[in-house]
Amino acid sequence: MDTPSPSTRDLARRLLAAEAASQSAADPRAPEGVRVCEKLRIHLARFIGPDGFTALLRRALALARAEVPALHGVTEKADGSLEGLDKLAAAAPDVGGAAAFAITTHLLTLLVTFIGEPITARLMRETWPDASLDK
Amino acid sequence: MSPQGQNQGQERVTIRRLLTGVPGLDEIFGGGLPEYSFNIIAGAPGCGKTTLAHQILFASAGPERPALYFTVLGEPAIKMLRYQQQFTFFDPSKLGGSIRFVNLSQIVLDHDLGAVLDAIVTEVEACKARLVVVDSFRTVVRKAQGSATEMELQGFVQRLALHLTSWQATTFLIGEYVEGELRDNPVFTVADGLFWLYQSVERNSIVRKMQVMKLRGQESVPGLHTFRITGDGLQTFPRTFGLSAESAHLKGERRLSTGIREFDAVLGGGIPEGDSLLLAGPSGSGKSVLASQFVAEGLRQGEPGVIAIFEEIPAQYIQRAAKLGLDFDAPQKDGALKIIYIRPLDLSVDETVYEIIDAVRRIGAKRVVIDSLVGFEMALAPDFRYEFRESLYRMIGALTRLGVTVISTVEVQENFNSMGLSNFAISFLADDIVRLRYVSINGQLRKMLLVVKMRGGPHGIDMWEYKITGKGVVMGEPLRGYRGLTSGIPAPWSFESGENDPAPRHDRPPGPPESRPEGGSD
Repeated sequence: MDTPSPSTRDLARRLLAAEAASQSAADPRAPEGVRVCEKLRIHLARFIGPDGFTALLRRALALARAEVPALHGVTEKADGSLEGLDKLAAAAPDVGGAAAFAITTHLLTLLVTFIGEPITARLMRETWPDASLDK
Repeated sequence: MSPQGQNQGQERVTIRRLLTGVPGLDEIFGGGLPEYSFNIIAGAPGCGKTTLAHQILFASAGPERPALYFTVLGEPAIKMLRYQQQFTFFDPSKLGGSIRFVNLSQIVLDHDLGAVLDAIVTEVEACKARLVVVDSFRTVVRKAQGSATEMELQGFVQRLALHLTSWQATTFLIGEYVEGELRDNPVFTVADGLFWLYQSVERNSIVRKMQVMKLRGQESVPGLHTFRITGDGLQTFPRTFGLSAESAHLKGERRLSTGIREFDAVLGGGIPEGDSLLLAGPSGSGKSVLASQFVAEGLRQGEPGVIAIFEEIPAQYIQRAAKLGLDFDAPQKDGALKIIYIRPLDLSVDETVYEIIDAVRRIGAKRVVIDSLVGFEMALAPDFRYEFRESLYRMIGALTRLGVTVISTVEVQENFNSMGLSNFAISFLADDIVRLRYVSINGQLRKMLLVVKMRGGPHGIDMWEYKITGKGVVMGEPLRGYRGLTSGIPAPWSFESGENDPAPRHDRPPGPPESRPEGGSD
């Protein structure tokens, strides 16, 4: 099992920050962690299929739960969206933030493991074209 | 893109061709793949269909020609990316812009063919894709076969082909089809191109071949072509060896020295340029030595050479030549000599020929030695040994088309009842044949050579004794005064009475080599 690298953690941090700063968010009320996961779902499912994304998300969630036990109350739905993360963020914003960061980090780590960092970074730049994601 | 050839003054549409980026494949297709064609890449799992499609896409896609790769049920896209990026053709900078991956699994599973068609068309129109791959199309059809009628399926394929062609896309549908489906499957009827990849395993070898079963609009090279998958992707070896144009070389315009003056005289002045000479003889008779002297003489005259060896490593070959006073080390470093060592046990003749032709072209070689044909046969995959004779025919033809002069050595088993010329019944392929053999004379095992055949001119008809010395092959005297030399156990010959002559005449001073009339060597 690969441990998230500093560069992957940094990328996750920047994605969350980019989403937090986004004026064009589909649902600005939703925490940025939820919006990041939703954007990844829409973009990656198009490429690897809904089943493919759901499988990755399930794995990322399992890994993230080891770091943020509160994630045991969050589950993935059949379409790959997350259920319960917004409630967690509303109840405990700090914990919600840590949870979103953990999920995003592990999802990116899995992508890096399978397809490498350059292609993963490319996929993120496509998903967030307006964000400055380069190091 | 390459334009088609001459329209010969007629008003015909120009079918532009897509260059595939796969070595050898454009030649097989007849110059590239017709633009806007609707093609199928078929074959069993693992034979290279996906890699071929990726290789073509990465070579052809760009900002002006974006590509869409639809994945269906089969290899997950994330796995596909993981494995395909191991190939050197994979360019990550093209992902997302020039090449996009779209997954259709859910639509195929949950909806009908109409929805699948809509999804593909929508994506193609949005992206303005000029290259489209559906992988695997077989699963789309398989899923539909349970619910759609044959006519609906045919209609779907027809509409898909119409839409994609109308949008000026060149399409590749990948499928694990079997040849038995050729007769009834509507996909094959609609397709403009049908390319079949084969893979067979025999003992320890994997043999891969491909065939263009159909290609509308142009003439492709028929038959099965060997291909290999390496870290660079697929490499194909067209059966024509890239030599489909007429040869500009005329054989025999000059004679090439073997490096042995007396031997040149026996050959009628040397080996006619462009000829293929077969040097046949038992083990230890000096075939490799003669062949080495031939190349060394060429190097002395500024003629680069290529030596293809199968039975020893280049360093040993060079060392052995050095013991004869022949320097192959310096010319190799200077690029005037290329020694190709070919040893794998799953080789195809075509790959070997390509390697030799490539070397000939790179260094401008004039002389080629293949040492030996028996070693060559052993290095081939079992599957290729069945067609060895036919392959040799093509190989020798290809090399001599290049204007090079070829010496091939072949070991023959010594037989004291007859004198065979080769183990492969290929004597007819060679322009010239020299036979080396052992003869037993006065209790000694001596060496003898004779020129059996020179297609293009006269040659000596004597049988000559020779020795292998520290300087290579040295010619002796003609072995006259014997009968039955070709048996290896001659008896003295009496010219007067026809009975045994107690005084052999082999030590008489020889006259000039007697010649056969020109053209009578066959």
